[in-house]
Amino acid sequence: MRAALLLAGKDLRQRLRDRSAILIAIVVPLALAYIFNLILSGVTGGSTTFEYAVADRDGGPVAATFTTRILPAIEDQGVAEIRAVPSVERARGLAASGDVAAAFVIPEGFSRAVQTAGPATIQVIGNVDTPIGTEVARAIAEAFVADLEGVRVAVATVLHGGGDPTRAPQLAAAAGEQPSPVRVEDVSAQSRELDPDTFYAAGMAVFFLFFTVQFGVSSLLDERKDGTLARLLAAPISRTAILGGKLITSFLLGVVSMAVLIGGTTLLMGASWGNPAGVALLVAAGVLAAMGVMALIATVARNAEQAGQWQSIIAVVLGLLGGTFFPVSQAGGFIASLSLATPHAWFLRGLADLGGGGISDVLPAVGAMLVFAAVLGGAALLRLRRMTQL
Amino acid sequence: MKSLVIAGVNLRRMVRQPINVFFVFVFPMLLILVLGATFGGAFTPVIGVVDRGSGPLGDELVTTLAASEDLDVERFETQEALRTAVERGTVQGGMIVPPEYSTSLRSGAEARIRYLVRPDQLGQQLRTAVESAVGEQAVTLRAAAFASVETDVPFDEALDRARDVAGEVDPIAVEVRTAGEAVLPEDLGRFETGASSQLLLFIFLTSMTGSVALIETRRLGVARRMLSTPTAGRTVVVGEMAGRFGTALVQGVFIMVGSMLLFGVSWGDPVAAVMLLLLFCLVGAGAGMLVGAALATEQQAVSVGLLLGLGLAAIGGSMVPLEVFSDTMRAVAHVTPHAWALDGYAELVRHGGGIGDILPQLGVLAAYAAILLSLATWRLRHAITG
Repeated sequence: MRAALLLAGKDLRQRLRDRSAILIAIVVPLALAYIFNLILSGVTGGSTTFEYAVADRDGGPVAATFTTRILPAIEDQGVAEIRAVPSVERARGLAASGDVAAAFVIPEGFSRAVQTAGPATIQVIGNVDTPIGTEVARAIAEAFVADLEGVRVAVATVLHGGGDPTRAPQLAAAAGEQPSPVRVEDVSAQSRELDPDTFYAAGMAVFFLFFTVQFGVSSLLDERKDGTLARLLAAPISRTAILGGKLITSFLLGVVSMAVLIGGTTLLMGASWGNPAGVALLVAAGVLAAMGVMALIATVARNAEQAGQWQSIIAVVLGLLGGTFFPVSQAGGFIASLSLATPHAWFLRGLADLGGGGISDVLPAVGAMLVFAAVLGGAALLRLRRMTQL
Repeated sequence: MKSLVIAGVNLRRMVRQPINVFFVFVFPMLLILVLGATFGGAFTPVIGVVDRGSGPLGDELVTTLAASEDLDVERFETQEALRTAVERGTVQGGMIVPPEYSTSLRSGAEARIRYLVRPDQLGQQLRTAVESAVGEQAVTLRAAAFASVETDVPFDEALDRARDVAGEVDPIAVEVRTAGEAVLPEDLGRFETGASSQLLLFIFLTSMTGSVALIETRRLGVARRMLSTPTAGRTVVVGEMAGRFGTALVQGVFIMVGSMLLFGVSWGDPVAAVMLLLLFCLVGAGAGMLVGAALATEQQAVSVGLLLGLGLAAIGGSMVPLEVFSDTMRAVAHVTPHAWALDGYAELVRHGGGIGDILPQLGVLAAYAAILLSLATWRLRHAITG
């Protein structure tokens, strides 16, 4: 046991001296998680503010509702910045040049058409380079129109049933005051999903974990090449101790790098990994699974260089399929099922389950990762024992 | 010519190693395939619905939702099953219609629809769809409730009347047009904008990881041996550069043609598109050479290569459209060559421009290439001969 720890200590000191280990284990994943978080989480959180122009050629009461109540309310929500322009040409010009994402145009006679139940149109002029902004503008206009139509139909229904046509304006006002009978409530927040900040942090951490744990087993191959393995085996140290030392190195490197990443992303990016005990279980299982995968590849390859190449390829493919870059479960069917063949997918799923539940909820994910570790790692260990038989 | 021989050797070495074949050919197509399956235009988001016992009005709501071509509806038995499906991503959103939906509305009380969506763009689309379907039904429901109070008739009768009337009332339309030269194509799918982003991401990433080969050349002493022959330092550098450039170009053409044939992606004017590709490959070659010349070990190159390759792509708008960047971030994005190349491709694809329209972008890319290649040359000569 003492020999194993000594060997592990030596390996770790070697790795620390070689800055590339720190680079791949800590610096690169942290930097990438930060960059992705900066770029991507703002988008998925829907916190982009679009600039719109509005040209009110009508000036009537219905148009005024749009420009003085609806649009300012949207501005208050932070969804858009609105600027009023005096003419349609100006609005079109701004949209064409891209100064605004889209422009609303309320044509002359709009209010009167709405109030007399005639056909009416509101225009949205978008820019071809801002399809998302144009869609959001369309949604805003359509919501407003739906509201107007609700009032119209309400008034028309009353009149149709024998109401007094001269009371139409009062009816319209009353109908406008009436709230919608159906309330729509967004309950997404209660679901067990990783928020974008945590998703990118976790995705990058587990992706680079597979690169980090390579160092342990690959060092065994390096030692064989350099001739130091033969000397180790000739010394009065059991084979188990030598293998144990390498495995301890991998495990410690993996766990420490994950710990630093978890701490770093929590402090710097506001990622919330969840219950520490649950996270610790997931990390331990994940590191073991990663070790299993990488060790098996290393023992199957012919030399250290080839091992390194195949390990990189497998790490990238598994990371991609496992959904560390984007959620592959949406791909449906075959690819979604394929993602469950990667430890990455289970790690991310375990974190999501932890977020919505308790420690017991991570047990399926931990179990799955331990199966990877046992099966693949077991096969690797068998081959390693044969390899250390001179 | 010696430079070409050196370049040829580089290419042969590249093709012989499985990791390079993977990164240059297999991985891009794999990623485009997975991305296409996940986000591509052919993908219709699915919304799960729980509406046990919600009555005829509930059925009507679900039918309205299902009538939309932009989404598919899948029924679930319980809220728990629906929630799990949304969390796992098997459906992109869910709507829960309570059992007392019809009865509440009939008695004039308020009814509540709950929905949950995934925190991504498809989820936002579903949110809009739900609100719009509910809004559509709410028009007649509101009218019925209002009329039933005003004219003192039972709700059901008022509802029938409201439905008749709704069919007769003139609609208020929202007309969407596009300013500028091109018409906003209805199906400008994510594929078009996605494909150019992926192209740039991969060329740059491969050039970055290709720097490993250059370090190997230095470490193995191949570079030194080349110089011991009557070969000028400049020839060696040009040869190495041509090797990187050739790899990037092969990969770029492969991705362009592949995506065109497999997914029907259009790249705009061919001459301009290839010109843009050529210049970006030069930029990638320069960057790759600079990294290969400046670093000492292969592992460092892999780490730095991944960091720069992925990081610059993200900042440059290769992962998320530049459109949603804030003004400051967009300015920052234009420090990277990616953003300029993306602007170029947007001009070609969305505006149908030609080479004349992208001269500024071509100029900037040429400048980047010149600067990077000079720096790399200086550093490499220094590393080999020094």
